[in-house]
Amino acid sequence: MEVDVDTKENKVVEVRNGCQIGTKKYFASNPSNHRYEKPLIKEKGSFKEVSWDEALDKAADILVKAKRPLLYGFSSTECEAQGKGVELAEVLGAILDNTASVCHGPSLLAIQDVGAPTSTLGEYKNRADLVVFWGCNPVHAHPRHLGRYSEFVRGYFRKDGRNDRYIIVVDPRNTHTAQIADLFIQVNPSEDYELLNAIRAILRGTEVDGKEVSGVPMKNIIELVNKLKTCKFGVIFFGMGLTQSLAHHRNIDAAICLVRELNDYTKFLLTPMRGHYNVAGANQVFAWQTGYSYSIDFSRGYPRYNPGEFSSVDVLIRNEIDASLIVASDPASNFPAAAVKNMFKHPLISIEPHHTPTSVNADVILPPAIAGIECEGTAYRMDSVPLRLRKVKDAPGECLTDNEILERLIEVVKKKKGE
Amino acid sequence: MVVNNLILITCRTIDQGVALEGGKVSRENVRAAAICAFDREDFKKLDCLVGTPVKVITDYGEVLVYSTISEEGPHPGIIFIPMGPWANQVVNPDSQSCGTPTYKGMKATVEVVPNGKVLNAVELIKTLIEG
Repeated sequence: MEVDVDTKENKVVEVRNGCQIGTKKYFASNPSNHRYEKPLIKEKGSFKEVSWDEALDKAADILVKAKRPLLYGFSSTECEAQGKGVELAEVLGAILDNTASVCHGPSLLAIQDVGAPTSTLGEYKNRADLVVFWGCNPVHAHPRHLGRYSEFVRGYFRKDGRNDRYIIVVDPRNTHTAQIADLFIQVNPSEDYELLNAIRAILRGTEVDGKEVSGVPMKNIIELVNKLKTCKFGVIFFGMGLTQSLAHHRNIDAAICLVRELNDYTKFLLTPMRGHYNVAGANQVFAWQTGYSYSIDFSRGYPRYNPGEFSSVDVLIRNEIDASLIVASDPASNFPAAAVKNMFKHPLISIEPHHTPTSVNADVILPPAIAGIECEGTAYRMDSVPLRLRKVKDAPGECLTDNEILERLIEVVKKKKGE
Repeated sequence: MVVNNLILITCRTIDQGVALEGGKVSRENVRAAAICAFDREDFKKLDCLVGTPVKVITDYGEVLVYSTISEEGPHPGIIFIPMGPWANQVVNPDSQSCGTPTYKGMKATVEVVPNGKVLNAVELIKTLIEG
């Protein structure tokens, strides 16, 4: 990927070889009417530009006064800032959560239950001759995935690229990914669990009663099982079709068990298709610093973990939160209405570069530099490979990095708490 | 016209993904995510033109979005709304104690509202705050 920057104007002028989403991300970093450049505080319904000291003081006030603050987001920033988020949560005795909570949280739960046979994307590129996309649509959600790692790319042992791979898509609709696959299995919505277990049963040699499972004719399931068994190196990429439907982590449990059992016949692995560019990093950082990857409560002074109890959506729906700090995320857009309604009943601080439904309704807005464009850092790819993010231009206005903002906020909070 | 017994699934689309990058409060996001994609045959039952606003009603709420015909059909009985604030008005917030709400597989009814006004993201969230 190449990015051209006008250094005089400090603007991105051209992006080559980026996907549509990545290209837009770079251009959106330029100063515009939707980019915050100075700290803002809401007074009598409208925003007022203030100094960093004033904004941080107000933010710290809100957090220190709160009995049960929520720190949420962190998935679109770099790992050093995520580490500062953990420190702030500990100082405040807050609930700490990242966006995996509404996305691949169930995958993390399943991995804790049954482990996960997985690998880096380079292995798939060089070796996989059978690729299953289950409940994901990378043509839309991960536009470069097929070209770089999983479908069209030529690998060391897959010299003919797409022709050397057999692509299977399992989804309730004939997605654009399915339209270019070799085999499309149309499963009924929310019935993936039954299909996964039928596949496991047939793989074990059991005869399954009935003519179909989850809307898939038995002969197609048998054909699918034969394909899975006879490949040289297979991989299942799964998305939110599995994690966000009714069976949640039970789906992933079943998928992981299927992959484990397939290893009796051939080499098989699986990888979740993560969303935010550094949500995997947020899970890593939280896990190595607290022991848990999301849904963490510091209210007793030490970290406790219990999704369903300490996960953001659940605490918001129960209206347990009395202030929130949102870092690099937009829960107003991403949480169910009932949770959003309760979130805005209490003061909200937003560390966010752009106008979003969350930030425009916040009480304090702290404008950050965008990690990977305007500051350096580390981010973890979906296969948990850490990559160094580079800085290509300076941030506009008075923006500070997420890391600096959180560091200064921790200082002010500690002072106010008398530590 | 009203069509009952549909299943609502929230999904990603490339347009919605692009609109997320710095365009969340823009019309671009409305065009990308305030839409409901129907199977071609289901859409005929609505008896309206593509782009006519429709009200999507589930057990958890209702929302007004623009109708469109899915490029990824056929999927009779299933409707798709891209992930975003509009979809989140009608999803099942119950996470069954795993933290992740059930964003997919709600039973839905769709009603054509020819003169309905589809709100932008900020207006929509405002109705929640004030409501």
